[in-house]
Amino acid sequence: MHILEEAFRARGKLMEFFIAQVLNGLSLGSIYVLLVTGFNLMLLVAKIIQFAYPQFVVISMYATWAVLRATNNVILAILVTIVVSIFLNLLSEPIFRRITSIKGTDINATFVASIGLSMVLVEIMSHSLNQGFPISFSDNWVGGSVFRYGIINISRSSIFAWVGGIIVVVAFFYLLYRTMVGRLFRAIAENRHVAKLFGIPIFKTSMMSYLIAGLLGGFIALLLSMLIGTASPWLGESVALKVLAVSIVAGLGNLKGGLFVGLALGVVESVAIGYVAGSWSNVIAFVIMLIVILAKPKGLFGAAVE
Amino acid sequence: MNNNGTTFLKMNNVNVFYDSIQALKNISLEVAKSEFVVLIGANGAGKSTLLKSILNIQAPKGSIKFKGKELTKLHTDKIVANGISIIPEGHLIFNSMSVLENLQLGTYHGKKKEQSIENIFGYFPILRERKEQTAGTLSGGEQQMLSIGRGLLSDPELILVDEPSLGLAPKIVNDIFDILVKLNNVGYTILLSEQNAKKSLEIADRAYVLETGNIVMEGQADDLLNDEEIKDAYLGGSI
Amino acid sequence: MYFLGFSMTYILMAWSIYLPYRVKHLHFLAVATMAVTSYMGGILSVNFGWSFLPTLLLSIVIGALISYLISHTIGNAPTFTVVIVGITFVFIIKTAIENTDYLGGTIGLFGIPVLDHPLIILFAFLLVIGYFLYRIDHSRIGRAASVIFTDENLAKSMGIKPKQIGMLFQTISGGIAGSAGVFYAFFVGSLFPDFFTFHLIGTLMTILFIGGYTTMWGVIPAALILRGVPMILPSSIASWRLLIYGVLLVAIIATKPKGLITKKMLWELLKKRSGS
Repeated sequence: MHILEEAFRARGKLMEFFIAQVLNGLSLGSIYVLLVTGFNLMLLVAKIIQFAYPQFVVISMYATWAVLRATNNVILAILVTIVVSIFLNLLSEPIFRRITSIKGTDINATFVASIGLSMVLVEIMSHSLNQGFPISFSDNWVGGSVFRYGIINISRSSIFAWVGGIIVVVAFFYLLYRTMVGRLFRAIAENRHVAKLFGIPIFKTSMMSYLIAGLLGGFIALLLSMLIGTASPWLGESVALKVLAVSIVAGLGNLKGGLFVGLALGVVESVAIGYVAGSWSNVIAFVIMLIVILAKPKGLFGAAVE
Repeated sequence: MNNNGTTFLKMNNVNVFYDSIQALKNISLEVAKSEFVVLIGANGAGKSTLLKSILNIQAPKGSIKFKGKELTKLHTDKIVANGISIIPEGHLIFNSMSVLENLQLGTYHGKKKEQSIENIFGYFPILRERKEQTAGTLSGGEQQMLSIGRGLLSDPELILVDEPSLGLAPKIVNDIFDILVKLNNVGYTILLSEQNAKKSLEIADRAYVLETGNIVMEGQADDLLNDEEIKDAYLGGSI
Repeated sequence: MYFLGFSMTYILMAWSIYLPYRVKHLHFLAVATMAVTSYMGGILSVNFGWSFLPTLLLSIVIGALISYLISHTIGNAPTFTVVIVGITFVFIIKTAIENTDYLGGTIGLFGIPVLDHPLIILFAFLLVIGYFLYRIDHSRIGRAASVIFTDENLAKSMGIKPKQIGMLFQTISGGIAGSAGVFYAFFVGSLFPDFFTFHLIGTLMTILFIGGYTTMWGVIPAALILRGVPMILPSSIASWRLLIYGVLLVAIIATKPKGLITKKMLWELLKKRSGS
């Protein structure tokens, strides 16, 4: 009986550990979901592959850090982060508009250009911002634990990530399906030419999508900074890859698919981190996505875009 | 025939190119307020291109004036805001969105909101029945009605209609043509492009004949109906 | 002289990216392959005393084999899928190397014997590969690739099989990349895992797109200028090279998306020469 009891307790601990990882994974997954949504918005409305979108988010995190360091004013930090993110996204609009309007370019060109953009941002971060060292956020900002049960530890930032994620996703779908702006987005996403014929302002609507992507990005930066507590020039790179991978695995442009795959990635990654040493956990997530992509190159749920 | 002589729409020496192919060659035409003008011509003559050029699509060279405003200098959405609507060929609407949503999109430029969506349902009761239905599941004729309804919601004064009979059964075509006549009687100016020459000449005031990008003939619709050459070329095998 | 050798290695690497892009594949798996063969070459020479030539031959075979096997699934995949597959492998290989002490881990692998006459061997090899590429580009296969690039459906309706050509190009690319890895190892003498990552990918992309991806000649001046010049600049400026690459990449896409040297340009140059 003694052995059985121990085995039971051990199994319980294992279960606890697993649950802890899954819960962590859900908050990480929440972030991925938001990132994929912003990425897909650019893909569907602006018709660009914005590989540098996560870099914009990371730079906004640097802005958060800078403001907090200088003033310790939370409201200001939030505002500045969102403004910086919107600003960066809007700034990129003319570049992408120019590229899509030249003859002889297709969406691949925007992808390549966004890789270039990403390179520029990473170099700026690794050369000038904080002398290239990773930044970390104060414990006040990150927040402590809110709920403990054995190994399971739910932090305040996790809750923000979940709740924030859910609110934003709901708000986004509301925007898309219940407002005029959302209708304009969906119209352009379905058929840009017909939208033009109907008198829908392509330029204005496209700008609007950049604005919303920027707003979303600022929000993501805040949540992410609280969740992982640090940022570095290379954070953007690995996240950008994951977001692109999630988007492809779900099916390019598939918003609902992105929700599922984003969450799944977060959980898979978290579980991997819990059970596998060091940088291999990253690799596992990629390997799994790789297998899925190789099995279904057009995505799990079907692409919405060519 | 309502012709009070003001040049509502005036195209002067308009040329349109698709890369190196010239689709429209020195097009000059006029439409007066409340007129019903039809463009007839074979497939590929350039009718669609002509209508779209009015909305400044495919970079038309030349002058296109609407109520005095030069359209070639305006973006398409501004042109629509200024009172021109197009009912594109192929009864194009947004297949993934509902009937109601398609109409709501139409109201984007609606100024006076006189033509509210309720009015449209009045014109086309079948759309009211199907208002939550996905537009892609409607029949061809219903989609065409939706397209027209959507086009009316931006409070246009000039309606461009591109080959509405394509792909539709003869009975439906008659219905659509009836709608166009009614709209014209109420005061809308209509510029229609059609392959079905006979039917369109019967309802129009004036007509232009387009052949490989050139206007080769113009005149009163009745005269063209009785013209020998037109009869041979366009009215022989038509419905 | 280091300048020339380095640049020539990059020309080789860029060519391995050039070929699959003829059918719109950004075959970053090539970079992962370079990592594999360079480390393999390093181990074989340092620990087992292999000489250069057999190492080179083996890596060409292994490089081609890896790409060949993977191409069964991505031979006709959309561009981004090929990208993700490639980058994932780059990630995997890099992590594997970092965590393997036998390969030197993050500290690096040292002591690879440098070749006696590297430039001559490299140059000769470049000529061989260059000739090979030239023949492919100007063959039926090359023309078929151009059709696939413009319109895959049109190509299919003409009886062209995109998957076959995709697989072929990816395999050859793997072989070239394999050789590039070994040349790099034997030229530089030491290897670090963080060389074969996004820095290299970004550099190669910049070289390909600035030089021009519609012909094989574009990467030659691009590699010389983009990779060679920073070597003679003071390191304070040179450390910004990736930023400059990024700016140039965005700039070229926004102005001359086909690159500086295009097929059209070369055609016209040739016509003028023959005085038509």
